[in-house]
Amino acid sequence: MTATATAAPARGAGRPHYGTHLFLIVMAVMWLIPLLWTLYAALRPKAVTDKYGYWSLHGPINLDNFTNAWTQGGMATYFGNTLTITVPSVLLTLLLASMMAFAVSRFTWKFNLTLLVLFTAGNMLPPQVLAAPLFEMFKHTPLPYSISSSGTLLDTYYAVIAVEVAFQMGFCTFVLSNYMKALPGGLTEAAQVDGASVWQQYSRIIMPLTRPALAALGTLEVVWLYNDYFWPLLFIHSGDRLPITTGITNLQGQFLLDYNMIAAGATITVIPTLVVYLALQRHFVAGLTLGASKG
Amino acid sequence: MASHHPRPIFESRLDRRTLLRGLGGGAAALAAAPLLAACSGGPAPAAAGANATSLGSGLSDPVPRSAVQAMVDAFKAKSGATVKMNVMPRAQLVDNISSYLQSNPEDVITWYAGYKMRYYAAKGLLAPVDDVWEKIGGNFSEGITKASEGEDGHKYFVPNYNYPWGFYYRKSLWAERGYEVPATFDAFLSLCVQMKKDGLIPIAFADKDGWPAMGTFDYINMRTNGYQFHLDLCAHKESWDQQKVKDVFDNWKALLPYQDPAALGATWQEGARSMTGKKSGMYLIGAFIAQDVTDKEILADLDFFPFPAIAVEGTDAIEAPIDGFVLSKRAASNKTAKDMVAFFGTGAGQDAYAAKDSSNMQTAKDANTSSFSELNKKGAEAIAGAKFISQFFDRDALPAMANNVMIPALQGFIKDGTIDTRTIEAQATSLYAAE
Repeated sequence: MTATATAAPARGAGRPHYGTHLFLIVMAVMWLIPLLWTLYAALRPKAVTDKYGYWSLHGPINLDNFTNAWTQGGMATYFGNTLTITVPSVLLTLLLASMMAFAVSRFTWKFNLTLLVLFTAGNMLPPQVLAAPLFEMFKHTPLPYSISSSGTLLDTYYAVIAVEVAFQMGFCTFVLSNYMKALPGGLTEAAQVDGASVWQQYSRIIMPLTRPALAALGTLEVVWLYNDYFWPLLFIHSGDRLPITTGITNLQGQFLLDYNMIAAGATITVIPTLVVYLALQRHFVAGLTLGASKG
Repeated sequence: MASHHPRPIFESRLDRRTLLRGLGGGAAALAAAPLLAACSGGPAPAAAGANATSLGSGLSDPVPRSAVQAMVDAFKAKSGATVKMNVMPRAQLVDNISSYLQSNPEDVITWYAGYKMRYYAAKGLLAPVDDVWEKIGGNFSEGITKASEGEDGHKYFVPNYNYPWGFYYRKSLWAERGYEVPATFDAFLSLCVQMKKDGLIPIAFADKDGWPAMGTFDYINMRTNGYQFHLDLCAHKESWDQQKVKDVFDNWKALLPYQDPAALGATWQEGARSMTGKKSGMYLIGAFIAQDVTDKEILADLDFFPFPAIAVEGTDAIEAPIDGFVLSKRAASNKTAKDMVAFFGTGAGQDAYAAKDSSNMQTAKDANTSSFSELNKKGAEAIAGAKFISQFFDRDALPAMANNVMIPALQGFIKDGTIDTRTIEAQATSLYAAE
């Protein structure tokens, strides 16, 4: 943090920014307090907090809540389910959105703008509006029992993945088309002269060049889909098929809320997001500014 | 010849890498579909007589979850049937019950007695279990039998356990200060005065989540106007805008100064801390308070007395919600499902549950009660001695009435002591007419 501050030449090297630092430290601490407190509560047995209250510093601390949340909450299954939903959703979204973006950004067609507006507008649609119609639609879509235990699209991963893809595609198309527009038009023209088909232009020229944007979007999408609570809650009824965000509520009783164990469970669910963020930090930051400036 | 043709740069050269990559991608795409099918697919609903059934359970937190599992295991061992379990978070079952029952429900489902059961039975979403009751009927008291019936007089519910609501207090505190259990409302009020003088909050109270205050309303209404009036009011067969209802709130107003003034910001667990920490004298709550008390000494020090008599029926009515099981409509012809709920309606089945979760009381008469704590014994006696059993407001009334009308109305009353019965009646009329 200090390195970036001193390295900023525009503000004049050597002039210390006490005010800025104080502000940043205060903000950072304010953000960290609830997180650290959750962690601390998670480390304490319920009996201890019952006795001394949550506003206290009293031992002992141990990892019992974490092991209980993991085993009794069945979190391993839920993580697996999240993976089953997230991975195909992200791959499908990126594949379809990149095709769409390629079409609207590299070719001139009468309805280019209309299509792009349509996709972007879809991005603004609140998902809740479509909850009831989609539920009814899926309820009346019959599927053979070999691929769906309910005999309909309800209670299947297909339903969740399809809806996630549909809702994420608008944003991804928007971002990718802006990125592709910035690529020099000469590239595809040259390829065309060399006899490349449209498919070859897409797969061998544009897609490799779009890789940074795809990586950034992929990172963002993984985190977003991992965090999604709404669609699985609506479509999935079998307890053992829930993703982690919905499954974590398993730890909540009819009356009793064991806050310590819930804190532990919540902490565990944060870990994958942190790992994704730390490992792909570079793409994450790039993703935040993607599409911010129009090419 | 071939050398004369310029080689198009995009003619794919089939080298080892591209081949492998192409194969890998194709294989992954091909593999994805059946993999998902494996995750989402399942056997068709078991045909009748296949000796298989399924149980959808909303008891998902660790202790009750293991207790339901123990029940099912006991049934499996006894009958040799296979039982598919679907344990889902409670909120998911309760909030989505309507769509769940209509889509792909399990055969047997954990559910609650009261209007909350009768409502879905009347909608035709549950299967009657009269034939099961022919076998297990002798196990249950009259109050519980009545609570298992739908509007049409058929049975739709098999009880598992129940838990009484009443005033909980710490014996040691009461012995130290010389307090005595009050039998009448007047004695109760003078006890409150005494406690306040002694520097205690007389009645611990918490209503941040909205539902706990309904317990106070239920009791004052039953004690003021009687059980039948309370039930009819909950089912909106009686008007809310009448003197009898106003009397309830007038009686409550006498209690308000003695209830914890910070109630609106406290969860029931915080209310429990106030009582167990001897900051408050007593606490009107359900027996599930025992789940929150981790200190064994405090648990042994807890005692219970019923809500004192006010005007009618003495203390004949008790609030003791029953949790149990219902059958989804399509399980009507599944003999295994019926055998399973029949087993759950016996002492043997309920004991398997109680062995893991001791905070509730089995409802079957032939259940083993020898392992009951003192507190449970007292609760069980209170229920056995009661002539009428109510199920708590949010189970006796339309769910929307409880959540959308009663919670804000009661919270408003706790805040400033005013209540507008006419608005409640207007909202109730439109809600019950819409169903």
